[in-house]
Amino acid sequence: MKTNESTSSFANAKSRVPLAEIDIRGVEATRKLDRVFSTSTGRSTKASTFSSAL
Amino acid sequence: MAEHALTHALPSVSVILHGGEPLLAGPARLRRVCEELTSALHGIADLDLRIHTNGLQLSPRYLDLFDEFGVKVGISLDGDRAANDRHRRFADGRTSHPLVLRAVELLRQERYRHLNLGLLCTVDIRNDPHAVFDALAELDPPLIDFLLPHATWDQPPPRPDGSPTAYADWLLAIFDRWREQGRPVPVRFFSSVLSSLSGGPSLTESLGLAPTDLVVVETDGQLEQVDSLKSAYEGAASTGFDVFTHAFDEVAAHPGVRARQLGLAGVSETCRRCPVVRSCGGGLYTHRYRSDSGFDNPSVYCADLEALVRGIEVRTAAETESAAVAEPHELVAAHQDLTRTLLARLHADLDGRGGERWDEAWELVQALDRTEAGAGGLDGVLTHPYTRTWLLDALDAAHDGRPGAGRPATLRLSSSVAAAAVRAGLERDVPVAYRDGSIFLPTLGEARIGGAGEHGTALVRATDDGFLIRRDGHPAERRIVRTSTEDPGWLPVRHVGVGGAPGFVLDDLDPYRDCFDTPVAPRLGQSEADAWSAGLAGAWERLTAVVPEQAAEAAGSLIALTPLTTGHPAVGRHGYGALGIGVYTDTEELALGLLRGFRRAKLRALVDVTDLYASDGAWDHRTPWQEKSVPFSRLLSMTYERVGLGLFDPRFLDGVPQALDTLEAAAELTIDGKQLLAAVRKEISGTHGTSGKNSCKTVLDQEPD
Repeated sequence: MKTNESTSSFANAKSRVPLAEIDIRGVEATRKLDRVFSTSTGRSTKASTFSSAL
Repeated sequence: MAEHALTHALPSVSVILHGGEPLLAGPARLRRVCEELTSALHGIADLDLRIHTNGLQLSPRYLDLFDEFGVKVGISLDGDRAANDRHRRFADGRTSHPLVLRAVELLRQERYRHLNLGLLCTVDIRNDPHAVFDALAELDPPLIDFLLPHATWDQPPPRPDGSPTAYADWLLAIFDRWREQGRPVPVRFFSSVLSSLSGGPSLTESLGLAPTDLVVVETDGQLEQVDSLKSAYEGAASTGFDVFTHAFDEVAAHPGVRARQLGLAGVSETCRRCPVVRSCGGGLYTHRYRSDSGFDNPSVYCADLEALVRGIEVRTAAETESAAVAEPHELVAAHQDLTRTLLARLHADLDGRGGERWDEAWELVQALDRTEAGAGGLDGVLTHPYTRTWLLDALDAAHDGRPGAGRPATLRLSSSVAAAAVRAGLERDVPVAYRDGSIFLPTLGEARIGGAGEHGTALVRATDDGFLIRRDGHPAERRIVRTSTEDPGWLPVRHVGVGGAPGFVLDDLDPYRDCFDTPVAPRLGQSEADAWSAGLAGAWERLTAVVPEQAAEAAGSLIALTPLTTGHPAVGRHGYGALGIGVYTDTEELALGLLRGFRRAKLRALVDVTDLYASDGAWDHRTPWQEKSVPFSRLLSMTYERVGLGLFDPRFLDGVPQALDTLEAAAELTIDGKQLLAAVRKEISGTHGTSGKNSCKTVLDQEPD
């Protein structure tokens, strides 16, 4: 029987971000979630791309 | 502007005060501009106000004004003093450099730092690139960007040594310096290339295919296209419209503006066929101009842009590549991380709609997560592929605003928590709602605790060898032992062995397993399950003998097999580690089906956590195996499957080398996509594919993706 309750998975767990602290609105999380979501979550503010100014 | 923002419900509008030199308007006029803009957009859209200046007149008086209205400031600086003095001297020949430095210093002060946008440097390759970069970086700006000097095919940029990539070489010298120093400041030009190499958007109109959404309002009210166009020819930027008579929508409809919003359709044919087009985008629009052919050309900087993109790619691929592509255990870890992120997101999006029950279960999840045993038990449930199915369904329901969206989410969370607690051996009562007289504990089984139609709450508590269930309001406890023995009140999730190795879960119970294109089979009887197990063992023995590496990876990555009513092994809408297995006639067919299913599952898993390609569908590709052209993703999946099968039976490799050539030259490919293709090349090195003649037409070709 394959079990998953192994010490090595907790070693990963120790370096894992606790569930309540995962920054779900951050850039990285948004990128992860967008890959699997079937619908987009609406329009967002876009940065200007004008090359002659910052 | 406000009218335009209202009509289109824009969340924000960026206004950049530009010139010439905008500070020449003087503080009073600038104040009036800020006041008008702010009040016009108040309550309609966010106003992102910026100014770009040479800084010579910047003073606390201006900066206090900008602070009042939140105007952020960017400064032009071409490098050190020598660089600055090439083009920016006063009429009497005096250097302007000390004044620019003074402006930069003002923006670095505590009181104005929040207004500092950074430094914009126009490239002049006669300047020493290291000296330029060092001079800019030393001023500690929040951002730097580089502008190629304006040029067209009619008036090409200077190339003192004649090199077609002189500008790329110059920028790459800075790139190397920047990396050596640990990337001390973001450089927009570099960030844009790095973003598009990984499949993301470009960040500047100088690169990439993003639509230009700019209009220029001149001081006399004329509405124009972006002023860089003026380098092409006199009047290139004009539209004939003005603010007194016309709406912004009329400018938006101008053919010149529209032409810059077409993405791939807006670049030349040469660019459309070029592998670096997603990163380069044909370069800045105006740099394409030639008087006999307009803008329908590559950039006058084409060779430089290609060399720059390739140069950055080669230098950074190793550190940008996702470990999940090369390392199977990293792919599994990335999926665990994704599932946890989805769970956290569901909690946030439910925002209380799950009620007390959800909150109770959520507290328990966190408690489990904090201990070694608890985390192990929780992992066992979260990594189960159908947990992902539940999360995606629940998130869809939450986003759709469906009434009662919280209830199924809560039901599954509490049963998942109970299952995790049992796996962890946590001796604590976990409340679980039940419906229709039964409780399904994910990865464990289904317990019947009442009659059909009965619902309520039960308490689940782990024991040494299983768990106890007690219905609310009933004194009697049921003791369930975690073995594979079925009885009328307990249907365990069974395991199937594959030879001597650890086996898979045979999940014919989880309600969320119904996530494949074909219907799932109902619960198998014991003799059916035994036959299944025997068939699987035979097929696995075959796979281990012929494709031992793939068999080993599959054994380590697959978790659950679910019987389907029909069809070939399939992948559905679930986390990594599940395969749906239909009906098969013999061991050989099952072995091939498992292998194909595993390749499909793995590719799908990679697509879920990395970006192997971008702009899929923008180009069509011929395949060696059928008439119809296909998008990149389809060619990749056809090729990837054939490689796996080809290691079992070499006939499947027909046409694969040619397909790999096509994939490797494609613009859709990202750094991670290249990594995958390199791994695939390595898999088949030492075998011999042919050109596609006598290609092995199998049932693969008739199947939808």
